[in-house]
Amino acid sequence: MRKFLNGPWVLLMPTLIILTCVVLLPLLLSLWTSFTPFKLTKPDTLYRFVGFRNYERLIGDLDFWIAFGRTVLFLAIALNLELVFGLGIALLINKITYGQRTLRTLMMFPMMFSPILVGFQWKYIFNDNIGLMNNFLREFGVIQPIPWLVDGILANVSIMAAEIWSSTSVFAILLLAGLLGIPKDPIEAAKVDGCNSWQVFKNITLPFLMPFVFIAMTIRSLDVARAYDIVQMMTGGGPAKRTELLWTLISRTGYVDAKMGMANAMSYISIFLSIAFTFFFFYKLVEARQRLSYE
Amino acid sequence: MLRLFLSLILAVSFFGSFSAKAETELWGDYSGVTLRVKLIGGGQYEGLYNEVIPWWEENTGGKIEIVTQKNHFELDKEIKKDIASGNLDFCVASNHTSFASQYGDIYTDLNNIMPASVLADYTPLILEHSTVNGRLVQMPRHSDVSNLYYQKSLYEDADNKANFKAKYGYDLTPPETWDQVKDQAIFFSNPPDFYGTQYVGKEEAIAGRFYELVIANGGALFDEDYRPIFNSPAGVEALQWFIDLYNAKAVPDGVLNYLWDDTGLGFASGTIAMNLDWAGWAGFFNDPENSKVAGDIGLVRAPMGSGGLRTGWSGSHSFSMTESCPDKEAAASFLWALTSNKAQMIEARGGLSPTRPAIWDAIIAEKKAEGDEFMLMVFETFKMSLAEDAFTPPLIPEWIEFTNALYPELQAAILGDKSPEDALATASKKATEIMEDAGYF
Repeated sequence: MRKFLNGPWVLLMPTLIILTCVVLLPLLLSLWTSFTPFKLTKPDTLYRFVGFRNYERLIGDLDFWIAFGRTVLFLAIALNLELVFGLGIALLINKITYGQRTLRTLMMFPMMFSPILVGFQWKYIFNDNIGLMNNFLREFGVIQPIPWLVDGILANVSIMAAEIWSSTSVFAILLLAGLLGIPKDPIEAAKVDGCNSWQVFKNITLPFLMPFVFIAMTIRSLDVARAYDIVQMMTGGGPAKRTELLWTLISRTGYVDAKMGMANAMSYISIFLSIAFTFFFFYKLVEARQRLSYE
Repeated sequence: MLRLFLSLILAVSFFGSFSAKAETELWGDYSGVTLRVKLIGGGQYEGLYNEVIPWWEENTGGKIEIVTQKNHFELDKEIKKDIASGNLDFCVASNHTSFASQYGDIYTDLNNIMPASVLADYTPLILEHSTVNGRLVQMPRHSDVSNLYYQKSLYEDADNKANFKAKYGYDLTPPETWDQVKDQAIFFSNPPDFYGTQYVGKEEAIAGRFYELVIANGGALFDEDYRPIFNSPAGVEALQWFIDLYNAKAVPDGVLNYLWDDTGLGFASGTIAMNLDWAGWAGFFNDPENSKVAGDIGLVRAPMGSGGLRTGWSGSHSFSMTESCPDKEAAASFLWALTSNKAQMIEARGGLSPTRPAIWDAIIAEKKAEGDEFMLMVFETFKMSLAEDAFTPPLIPEWIEFTNALYPELQAAILGDKSPEDALATASKKATEIMEDAGYF
């Protein structure tokens, strides 16, 4: 006992206790509820164990798997486009010598808006009747209004546009930090050796940036669910489930239908999605670092 | 209870330019009592609090602490979370007849709290709708039913009259049936500048509109055992009505994302010919500062479906008292104040439909005296439709969950992703699961 009290465990105890209370216990409780028919309005159902019934139902629930697939697609497209746009902005800002600070501040503006506000403003932009987009297009002769938030493809594109507008600056800031840290010597040496701009970017800048790319990807893949508010404001997952993502489905099941047990079962299945994305990006991050150290 | 009954006095209230019938008042001395309350927020609802809360505090010495003030759907989520966490540390909350049955027994049976003489001041049918499993869990604030607003000038235009008669073979008059609404909506539409009508297109809103049309067509959502029976000719006919208007572009393309504010503001923008909407919008529609159709509005009772019944999806906003409230007497007094003659007159002046018969008489008398023909027409129309056409949705805890299963299928049919029969079959299957899980059969 004395050995234990004098050991490193004592120093770790405060952290372990806090992590247990704040992370582990809520996780275990939500895991337990996923094996119950827990309804928010019927607290007694928390103690009724039904085994894997919620999970069995989800396995056969086509709506859930369509939402799951759409979420994967949404993540893949949105994160990659955010990366491309963020990289482009970072490279452009890195080039300029005057007003860089001002531009960096301006670039962060979209991050300052709450996702709910972003959802409202983009819902207005894409409103078929009074929205800015259709009124703008009308000036160019597009008389028939485009149903941005109704058409299956356009509605998803609209939501993605809002999400990309809101979060591209996260990539830009992280990648700009990476660009500012790249040593100038290899770039100058390459230019002396006759490399053109594309060759410099592809063979020197990008490999140096890759660890930052994967750090940004990992961070964004973990907090991308903040886009729930944007989707909820713009379409609520509709119409006819055309923009239904796991987040809107889980939220409606848990808080509106009050079926928290089922919602938590959905969440635990979708956690595998987050773990898979995070694991992939971490793997790529380690790989990029190793490659950089070899070179 | 003794203090409450001692403080119960009978008085005659005078306010405005009329005198209402004798009202049982429920004052008391509640000095030192603070009631924590959770209220529905929004412009339409908050005017009442600004007047009634200071009035109650002044007369009782008590204090009101507003813990939450948010829209009803957010408030509903918050109260469900409170139930789950067992954290019911408030006394009074906004409620609604469509929501009340979800909350189990967290709210007090007001039959045991409110004196019979107080309850006698409310419309008996509305109190019946406020009752869940024999327990009166809410005091009704105002009732809602929808009627059809329209732009009068469209019906007075000689060209419109002649062209419509030539095309459809009957006179252009404000519609009496939903088939006529469809004809006229298609006739008036000139997209994208002008549409014949519109409807709320998602969540409980479209499910409710579908429900009332099924009833008007002679159908029903459930049988006596709560087995779904809306996948029927009446149900398909109701859904087809929504589809036909959408396909004919007689409603805006984005209508499936519309909720109440969108339809209200749409009609006020002057780009919609006919609009089925609640009484509370009447004042807004006829206010030149807010509305382009002010001074040009007609109103008729909601039209009839093929079953010869008028649509009349109805419900009442209300206030409830928690079972855990430590000072039920003060809370009862506050519930009374929030739904008193004075409170209901404040809301009636804004166009909302009272739940006390005395206030119907009072507001109609007041509008007659003022010569306000428009609001007089509004109150007379809504009084009649609440008396003759109104019906509530099934007052069961599963109503909201059911509407969440139904509305995506309705949307899928309207957008052409599914046939009406397929959509209703899928919705019916989901509804059956919900009712089975709830133990109805």
